[in-house]
Amino acid sequence: MTDEEEMVGYKQQPGKLPFSRPGSGGKDQFSTLQDDEKIPKSQGGKLSQPWGIHRHDELVTSTSIGNRTPLIDGRYKVTGQAKYGDDIRLSNELIGKILRSPHHFARIKSIDTSAAEALDGVVAIATGVDASNAFGVLPVTKDEHALAISLVRHVGDLVAAVAAEDESTALQALQLIDVEYEVLDSIHDMKDGLEDSENPIHDRGKYHIGEANIQKRVFQEFGEVEKMTENAQASHHSNWTFRGVNHGFTEPHATVANWDPRGRLTVYTPQQVPHYLHRSLADVLEIPMHQINVYRTFVGGGFGGKSDPFPHEMCAAILARKSGRPVRITFDREEVFFVNRGRHPSHIEMNLHADSKGRLCGVETDALIDGGAFASFGHVTTYYNGVLHTAPYEIGAFHYTGARVWTNKPASGAMRGHGAVNSRCAFEVGLDDLSDKLQVDPMTFRLANLLPPLSATITGFRITSTGMRECLEKVRQASSWDERFRKLPLGHGIGVGCGFFISGSGLPIHWDPNKFPHATVHLKIDMDGGVTIHTGAADIGQGSDTVVAQSVAEVLGLPLDMIRVRSQESDTSPVDLGSYSSRVTFMNANAAISAAMKIRQDLLDATADITGADPKKLVLGDRRIYDKRDPAVGVSYLEALHKAQEERGALVASGAYRTPPMGRAHKGAAAGLAPAYSFSAYVAEVKVDVETGQTSVINVWAAHDCGKALNPLAVEGQIIGSCHMGLGQVLSEEMVYGRSGHLLNANLLDYKIPTVHEMPKVFPIIVESNDPEGPFGAKEAGEGPLLPILPAVCNAVYDAIGVRVDELPITPDRMHRNIEKLCKSQGISDPLELETPRLKLSSLQDTLANRAEEHEKRDIARRNNDDIEPYHNGALFGFTATIPADEQSDDWKVSVIPSQDYVDNPRLAGSAWKHTERRHRGDET
Amino acid sequence: MKMPPFELLMPTSLEQALDLAGEFIAAGQEFDWIAGGTDLIPNYKWHLNHKPNVISLAKVAEMSELSPTHIGGMVRLHDLAESEIIHPLLKDAAKSIASVMIRRSGTVGGNLCLDTRCYWFNQSEDWRESIDWCHKCECGTDADCRVIPNQNTLCVATYQADLAPALLCLNATIHLASSNGKREMLLSDFFELDGMTRNVLQPGELVTHVTLPTESSELTGCYHKLTLRESWDFPEAGIAAAWKLDGEEISALKIASTGLESIPRVHDEEVAAVLPEWSGKESIEILSESLRKSIKPVNNTGLKPNYRRKMVKVLARRCLNQIMNE
Repeated sequence: MTDEEEMVGYKQQPGKLPFSRPGSGGKDQFSTLQDDEKIPKSQGGKLSQPWGIHRHDELVTSTSIGNRTPLIDGRYKVTGQAKYGDDIRLSNELIGKILRSPHHFARIKSIDTSAAEALDGVVAIATGVDASNAFGVLPVTKDEHALAISLVRHVGDLVAAVAAEDESTALQALQLIDVEYEVLDSIHDMKDGLEDSENPIHDRGKYHIGEANIQKRVFQEFGEVEKMTENAQASHHSNWTFRGVNHGFTEPHATVANWDPRGRLTVYTPQQVPHYLHRSLADVLEIPMHQINVYRTFVGGGFGGKSDPFPHEMCAAILARKSGRPVRITFDREEVFFVNRGRHPSHIEMNLHADSKGRLCGVETDALIDGGAFASFGHVTTYYNGVLHTAPYEIGAFHYTGARVWTNKPASGAMRGHGAVNSRCAFEVGLDDLSDKLQVDPMTFRLANLLPPLSATITGFRITSTGMRECLEKVRQASSWDERFRKLPLGHGIGVGCGFFISGSGLPIHWDPNKFPHATVHLKIDMDGGVTIHTGAADIGQGSDTVVAQSVAEVLGLPLDMIRVRSQESDTSPVDLGSYSSRVTFMNANAAISAAMKIRQDLLDATADITGADPKKLVLGDRRIYDKRDPAVGVSYLEALHKAQEERGALVASGAYRTPPMGRAHKGAAAGLAPAYSFSAYVAEVKVDVETGQTSVINVWAAHDCGKALNPLAVEGQIIGSCHMGLGQVLSEEMVYGRSGHLLNANLLDYKIPTVHEMPKVFPIIVESNDPEGPFGAKEAGEGPLLPILPAVCNAVYDAIGVRVDELPITPDRMHRNIEKLCKSQGISDPLELETPRLKLSSLQDTLANRAEEHEKRDIARRNNDDIEPYHNGALFGFTATIPADEQSDDWKVSVIPSQDYVDNPRLAGSAWKHTERRHRGDET
Repeated sequence: MKMPPFELLMPTSLEQALDLAGEFIAAGQEFDWIAGGTDLIPNYKWHLNHKPNVISLAKVAEMSELSPTHIGGMVRLHDLAESEIIHPLLKDAAKSIASVMIRRSGTVGGNLCLDTRCYWFNQSEDWRESIDWCHKCECGTDADCRVIPNQNTLCVATYQADLAPALLCLNATIHLASSNGKREMLLSDFFELDGMTRNVLQPGELVTHVTLPTESSELTGCYHKLTLRESWDFPEAGIAAAWKLDGEEISALKIASTGLESIPRVHDEEVAAVLPEWSGKESIEILSESLRKSIKPVNNTGLKPNYRRKMVKVLARRCLNQIMNE
């Protein structure tokens, strides 16, 4: 039977399963030997390894890794059988609805629920008094409550919750709840958040920064900060405005809570991070964690927007406890915007300096980000806005000031490319401008300033593998860059942008990484031969179940239909930190591999027992374990398995992954630390209608270094999806706040996500740099690919009409204003007469091209050498590469506290340092 | 979003529908017509001026006639967009509306009677309560207009339907019916400058069909509109033009606009000022500039009004340039 024949019909029919006999071990009746073309040379196969050998080489069985694999839960989705949050229907359920604040900022004077309680069909009502414990995703900033305690902090903040027999009754009950508010002065402009306020939105006690609404501030100075401007041959200055954007996932938040007869709570919810919800539920409900089962349903898109523990999840649990019945809460789209956690609206000042040798001698960034009413992941976001653009380039000095303020808006949080997207855009557009000023090709400029593999960045991040150079080379070629850049007619342009992103966060949010693993995977194999994987990794559509299944299948030489993944319930799955910071493939696949290795050893031992062969010479092929040099000597997988099960029954194994100790010691050094980093380079081709200002993106060549594409189909999906999401932010998506401070477009008609018409043709290009620590060499592909699309489009717009964008999204009205300005400055009235930028190369171009060539040789030598010397950022500037530059020169600063000089004359976000933390003020608060 | 409950009636003939409406009026009860529902249902979900009764025209067969000169009120926008017999200008305008799915449901009558739109109005009930309501849906509060404060007499919500300017350029006549009888008028007389009343329809009256003069087939036309996205979005500005050439001479020219003010408008005056001494490119420039001046959008849609106004000129120029290219 072919695959096509199997797929006919609405769903798979019993008795028409795609494998012939139960227990036969997979869909093909006959097992095959290893495919030599896919076995690395290090193991005697034919697969060349230009990026060196890998510690997982010996585990390669040519079964699954690297195959274009449809997601294992795909059929559930395409046949409508996947159960998302709102699909969970328990008998006797009640419908929960939430009463929300009509005011931006107000004190609740009283809540009278008596009329609502008296309404027929209302079963339970909850208010702030029912759960007064605070929670939040980060232990240092727990500032949320299930329902407002005394203050409501934005329009849409939760005030009371009702559980009723049906939705209409619940809605009617909300109308009957009488709340008396004392309205307070609200803050909407993030700049106002930097000033002292009579009523700060939160009170952090002795840790509060002055009387201001500053939630977090960061100051970092590394390198030859004093010299950067005097050494500069060219400088770029820009002030960016980025609007808030929302994830725009398909499935609105929906949750069902149920207390079972044993008194245990199950919360069914589409969560990216079930474990943190688990902890928060225990805190808020004041019950032990073992009494709670967090059941992750299918997730209809997350993108970071379902990674906080949410108040409505607490509300469902509280209402279910009060009523003794299951409670389901499903959001309207408007409520999704109220809970938000989207990308922060930001003001970013970006100053870049290049010296006479075309080196990046200084980066100065100042980022003020608008956190909205709650902290969420904001602590981390504030760091990420700075530290995540210290690579992939070698830089002479880095100065970063960042501040996150509270305003009376829905809270910002983590969104695909967390914290890195906006400043990366500003940075890469700055590089384009610098290249222009130096009269060099921006591709060459980038290629001549890259950090090598196995190096340390200026703030001490450990770069292991990097395929940045290959990404740039490939898009340069694919886009015909050299023939087209600065040579296209008016209104038509191409531009390049790069990205750099963490592949997992080195520091778990809730515990000491040196004590507990980041990820744990359990395996169980019984007599049927199928492998059950227990993992807590949350499949949010990115394919985490599939990648874990693939990893185990590869190590054990099994087809995917013999693998089943149980990842939904905290009752059965080992603790996992969840799907954030692009950690899942890296950490979970590593944990799965280490568990599978134990089973593999059992199978090899059993085979040796049966055949008497030397276990060292045995290999695993497709459902067969045999002597590599004499394949006739061997046994089937089931035979070996049954032998291994003698005396002990089912095989079980547990594997875990923990990041190695990394990073420097300064405050904030852990932010941005990752066991590996992904790199990407895109070229975008745009057309701008110079009369209307409408910008459309036609083609995108998108190269991403994901280390090793375990599932190329999923990687390409991530690249194309990232392009779409990034395109929304650069072209049309923004959360618009009106004159009165209200969000004007909390719906998907007015919040403009690009449609299929706006989608360019994307050419995904996968670069595999074989990360030494990644599972089979893999790194992330979920978030990094989003970063380059924004600057690539902005730079292409400059190429097309000479407008340097500094405000996103580039809506036609904004672009038209820019074009008018440009016309005015050129003294012309018809934009069709505009002159497009052209490039006349300076002598520096050759210098850079030569350096790029030398560096390429350097990089190839480094990546194929086990015994290489350390390389610290600074070597390009004449320092000895093997030791950190600050240990070589006093001029090389490492500072995280601003000097008085700076505080006297700060930049915008830097002015957060004008305030003194209350505990250092000496007053008794 | 939960819709408020309403009684749905499904008459099977026009006469029955009008009688039902007449009965409601006699009994002092409020009701709405529903055709394709693509405008009414979202508004109901947002609790915008919803009524306890809704009369559906879905089963009224006699309103679906489609010929080059007769377009029934219940003709689906999709059928218009796919039609081979209808004037190309109408076909183009219909094709540009929203998305295929919406066009398959939405109707000609519904599109002409589209409710006006505004950032301060097309919002949920909680949201509107939080801004103390607005003039267009004041909920008994006598609320002011939020776009232009301190004037609560006129609603400035924007009319954002695409068919009207095309039909206006083709000199269409609109036909209305109620239990009191039928009447007809030029489409340009149908609209009334107020974002709330919008048109001359009386309670119980509906649009049965639109007719086009046979000479309209001699006109050539085009429609250009401004939207952020190619699909779904309502026009932020739209200009339609239709003309007739006698040799080099323009013997007729009509221009109409939509998406800019509370009603669509025909710009005969501006055309009349230029047409007698038509000189090609220069006249196009003068005419499109005078159109820009005469149209005054307000700040209540996605793109800023000063930009939309400037785009009137660009869109008009693009329409008129097509005359030169003929």
